[in-house]
Formats: sequence, C-alpha cells, structure tokens
Amino acid sequence: MKKKAIAFLLGMFALNAGFTPAAGAAQLLFDYVGYDYESPDPNPNQFGEVGSGYVSLGEVPVLYAPLVFNTVANQYTYVISGLTAINQQVVGPFIIVDYAGGALDVYEDDRTLGTDYDFGVNPPNATAPPTFVDGTHFLGGALTNFRFVFNTIDNSGSFEANYQVVGGSQLDNVDVTRRTGWTFAGVTSNEINMPEGYAHQVDGQVLVEQVVPAKDKSWGALKANYR
Amino acid sequence: MNQRKTRIIAGLAALAFAATAEAGPIIDWDPIYFYGPASSTFNNQPLGNPLAGVGTVSDFNAPFDFLDASDPTKEYTIVISGLTSLGTGTIGAPGLQFYSTNYSGGTIQIYEDLTPDHDYGVNPPNATAPSTFADGTLLLSGVFTRFVVQTNDFTQFQVGNAEGDINWNGGSLIDLTVTGGAPCPGLFTGGLTWRPVGDVLIPGYLFRHDGKIDLNCPVPAETSSWGKVKAQYR
Repeated sequence: MKKKAIAFLLGMFALNAGFTPAAGAAQLLFDYVGYDYESPDPNPNQFGEVGSGYVSLGEVPVLYAPLVFNTVANQYTYVISGLTAINQQVVGPFIIVDYAGGALDVYEDDRTLGTDYDFGVNPPNATAPPTFVDGTHFLGGALTNFRFVFNTIDNSGSFEANYQVVGGSQLDNVDVTRRTGWTFAGVTSNEINMPEGYAHQVDGQVLVEQVVPAKDKSWGALKANYR
Repeated sequence: MNQRKTRIIAGLAALAFAATAEAGPIIDWDPIYFYGPASSTFNNQPLGNPLAGVGTVSDFNAPFDFLDASDPTKEYTIVISGLTSLGTGTIGAPGLQFYSTNYSGGTIQIYEDLTPDHDYGVNPPNATAPSTFADGTLLLSGVFTRFVVQTNDFTQFQVGNAEGDINWNGGSLIDLTVTGGAPCPGLFTGGLTWRPVGDVLIPGYLFRHDGKIDLNCPVPAETSSWGKVKAQYR
C-alpha cells in the first residue's frame, strides 16, 4: 500500500513535469565576441540606470549546425539591441540590472564585396552599428528576461537571457522544436585595448534546447498505471 | 609638492600603460569545463580547495591567426591546474546573494595535438582528463597572477563569470606575446554556468566556461622631458 502511494506520487511529479515544456540536450548555436555601450544614456556617469538602453555588437567567430555558414567567404556579426533598463538593484559592490525587450540578430556579410566591421569610438558612430548590421539578416533572435550582473570593484560580470529563434535566412534550418534556448556572456572592463566609449568587452554564446512536448492524459489513465 | 609628485607618477603610469588601437581576443573557447573536489560547489569553494579545467580552442585571432582551430586533423586544447581557493565570500541575503572566490597560484597551458583525442570523461580527474588535453606540442604556458570566480543564487540560468590575469612564461609561441620588446599579459575572461539541465554540464564537472584570452599589451612609452610631463599637471 505504501509502495503504491509512493509510486503514485512519483507519477504525479513526472506528470507535473510534463505540463511545462521540458528541456532536452542543449545545443550550442553560435559564439559571439564584442563590446557594449548604452544608448540612450540618460546618465553617462552611471551604468544600467533605469531608462538607459543596452547595445552590444561584435563578431560571431564560431557557428554550429544546423546553421549553414561559410566563415571563409563571409563575415558574421551580431547586434544585441532593443533593451531598456527597467530595474536596478545594488548589493554591496554588485549591480543587477533587468531589461525589457531585446533582440540578438546575426548578419552575414561577404568578405570580398561587403564591408569589414569597425567598432570606431564613442558609439553609436558612423560605423557602429552600421557595419555590423549590413549584409543578409542571417538569424533573428528574441530576448526576454535579460539580466546584467556586474561587480564594480573587480570590473567584471555576466549577463543572461531567454532566447528564441524568430527569423532570418536560417530560420527554416532550425527545427521548430529547437528554437528556444538561452544566452549567457561574460563581461569585463579590464581589457586595456577596449575602443574608447565602449563600456565592457563581451564574450557569449547561444544554446538552444529541444522542447519535449507535454502529453495529455486523464486522471483515470494515470491512476491505472499504478493499480 | 607631494600632490604634484603623485600626479606626475600617475601620469607616467598612464603613459606607459595606455591602450593600443589593437583589439580582439587571441584565443576563444567553448567551453572549458572546470572541476574540483566534491566539497567545492557553485556557492562554496572552501579555503585550500584546488580548481582545474580542461577545454578546447574554437578560434584564434592575431597574432595566432595562422592557426586553424577548425582543422579536423588537429586539436588545440587548454589545461588549467594548480589554482587554490582563498575561500568563498558571500554578499547579500538569500535570493539575492553573490559568491566570490579568489584563487592563488595556477597555471595555464595551450597545446597543439596532431592526433585529436580529447575526452572529458566524467568525474575528473579521470583516465582521459586532463591527460588527453595535456598532450602534443606546448604552444603557450603561463601563470595566473589573479583568478576569481563569481556566482550567485538568483540568475535564471545559473550564470556567473571567471576572470584572471596571466603572465606568459613558456611554449613554442611565447615570442608572439611580446610587443615592442615588452611582454603582454593575458586577460582570461568569460561567463560560466553551473546549470545541470540539458546536458550543459558533464557529470562531475563544476562549471562550464565560455571565454577567451586577450593580450593586454602596453603601448611603448613616449619619450618626453620632465618639464613637458610636469606641465600636463600644472
């Protein structure tokens, strides 16, 4: 009797887990390296103040299947945009900034016929973002729950966000069950060669996870499994 | 007078270490997996506990851009060892808590192996890790002069970062880390995760780190007279 009850409870947990899409094996989609800045920037003396916009741009040096790419012929760049700071918390030397909105887009630009990316200085400027958003819109991603965490003493931190593939020329190459995932990155202000006017150096990646669909089942059918 | 001296010294230091126009990581990886003893967790790496890591290089940039990390006949691997925890410090209340662990010591090696065979295995150190990462030709070696791991208890995807400084001391390509006769320290940076969901972590490993190394090259000092330097701070 006791065993039956435990088995039933375990079954309930298993069923409950099925109500929310379960994550399968994570798959690395691409890696990105660049810099970030704020635009708009209501208070240039502060990072992550409410109302400020977060932008990051740079190169995508490594991509993975199912994306179809050619890093010899093309240059791949990324832009994170559309993020607005909606909350800032300070805990000792750390700041936590939450953002609304957001997109992470990848572009493919012919190395011969296209334009090399150029960070320039004090972005936005004549070349950043323009030289990062030219060419073909390769992969469009929507970001939600973007959170930036930073230690103001050692000048390093990280960010994370939910990620969903929503567009671009590669959309159809990404299976519909593998379009949801997440991104995370390390950020630092300790690189002494950072172009003037940028806030941090960024190194991140995007992982997608297979969504295991939930199965509808009646109470009767479930209980029958344990009788 | 003392203030003026301080300003002059600060000015000279700034001149010596001003940034060059060059930018970009020399080495990028996805990932390095870190491991330690069972008593090390994402929020507590006790005093004296070691931390080590193994990983593969995914991209090279100048001055190492003649190397091709995607060449299937080779593998480029990273081995980190000898980091010793100075204890984990906690800041904030549960639910909004940060954990910072500084490490002392530590070395890093980067290898080129003509017989690709790296294997993370599980529960390292094991029969293949770090041994299958620490083989081939040693391209670069260095010692950490700073290393910190930062984690927390509130990020959705269990995300933090690890960062350190490296002084290069060996390897067949060490000359490429020198610019204008001056050695360029390495800056080891990147995000890490301890998320167990979705096979992001391999059993027995503590962190997955996505990062890179930059050369923090100082600009050669500009010749100037004391009079000119002092004039800038008057």
